Amino acid sequence: MDRTILEQQFERILATQGPALSRLAASYTNTLSDRDDLLQEIAFAIWQALPKFRGDCSERTFAFRIAHNRGITYLSRARAQNTDPIEEIEVHDPAPGPESNLSQRQRAEKLREAVRRLPIAYRQVITLTLEGLGYKEFSEVLGISESNVGARLTRARQLLLEGLEGQK
Amino acid sequence: MTDLELQNWQEQWQSEPSIPMNLRKSVERQSKLMRIGLIGDVAVTLVIGGGSIAWAMRAGNGEFVPVAIAAWMFLAAAWIFVLMANRGLWSPSAMESSAFIDLSIRRSRRTLATLWFAVALFFAEVAFGLGWAYIHSVDRRVSMTAWLLFSSLRVDVVWLVTALFLGGVVWYRRRKQYELVRLLELRKQMSGPNFENEFDDGSLFERKGWRFYDSRRKHRGKPDRSV
Repeated sequence: MDRTILEQQFERILATQGPALSRLAASYTNTLSDRDDLLQEIAFAIWQALPKFRGDCSERTFAFRIAHNRGITYLSRARAQNTDPIEEIEVHDPAPGPESNLSQRQRAEKLREAVRRLPIAYRQVITLTLEGLGYKEFSEVLGISESNVGARLTRARQLLLEGLEGQK
Repeated sequence: MTDLELQNWQEQWQSEPSIPMNLRKSVERQSKLMRIGLIGDVAVTLVIGGGSIAWAMRAGNGEFVPVAIAAWMFLAAAWIFVLMANRGLWSPSAMESSAFIDLSIRRSRRTLATLWFAVALFFAEVAFGLGWAYIHSVDRRVSMTAWLLFSSLRVDVVWLVTALFLGGVVWYRRRKQYELVRLLELRKQMSGPNFENEFDDGSLFERKGWRFYDSRRKHRGKPDRSV
């Protein structure tokens, strides 16, 4: 494939999926610098895999597959599961500072922390759900059957709810 | 749990719209490093292989011909080893997660299994190099043991490199073993509880007494009979 086309495609994926990929990377890591490192790995893996991408799935599915796979590799290399308190990952708030936004940001941060604490199988399905993927895309990303997705998602939501309540 | 709750979660989750740092630049940098790495491998082959041939031709008396032949044989063995170790394992990273984790496990196992070949190849090279140097050494009245231990700084450097190489192998092997255990653990977690009975490689490691096994597991050293 022509390099210019590849570059355009790559730019498009980063522009449309960049924030989602950043959030997925954050769900695998505990610190901001780790998130950035993982995000760079994901971007590089997307660039390397692009020439082989034949459009058999959507670009979003393609990018999310790579993101989760790099996340798995990251977890397998991490020396030990860090149980230290999670460093806060900054939230850019588009609206300037009323107090209601502060609590909204805190809720968002609590949600992210609860997601990061989920077991990997549930964390994967919940992050995909939170990004708005459907069951079909789930199974395309994770390689599990659609019926399995339903059961896993129900359990994941339950665990997430418990996690959030546990934080209160 | 309601759909409204899920909707709230989605809104909160997606409230982090930060576009990350310049990923494009970092990708270009990594691509460049990768190209340099590949060129480096080829360059090492050409420098060592070409250098040995040039050396043999310059000497002109046939004394260095075995060195040139051996250099190319070792280089060929190293390339065959690398290509065989990666055979069937290369695959785009865009595959489904479950297939990707299986591939990663196979890759880890094969790396561990083929690590011994690298050690054997290294020792073959050292043995050949030292043997050749001893035969062509100035003073052959010295016993080989004494020559190997006290003859020159160059031989001492060989021992130093050997020690560093072995240290590196031990470190790399431990890291790969750790990665493999983590991958097996992740596969268990990702596949649900029923999967544990089929692939309890963790206990296999434990039975073999490999101490790298998951440090969080409480009963280290005792095979878990519950699975």
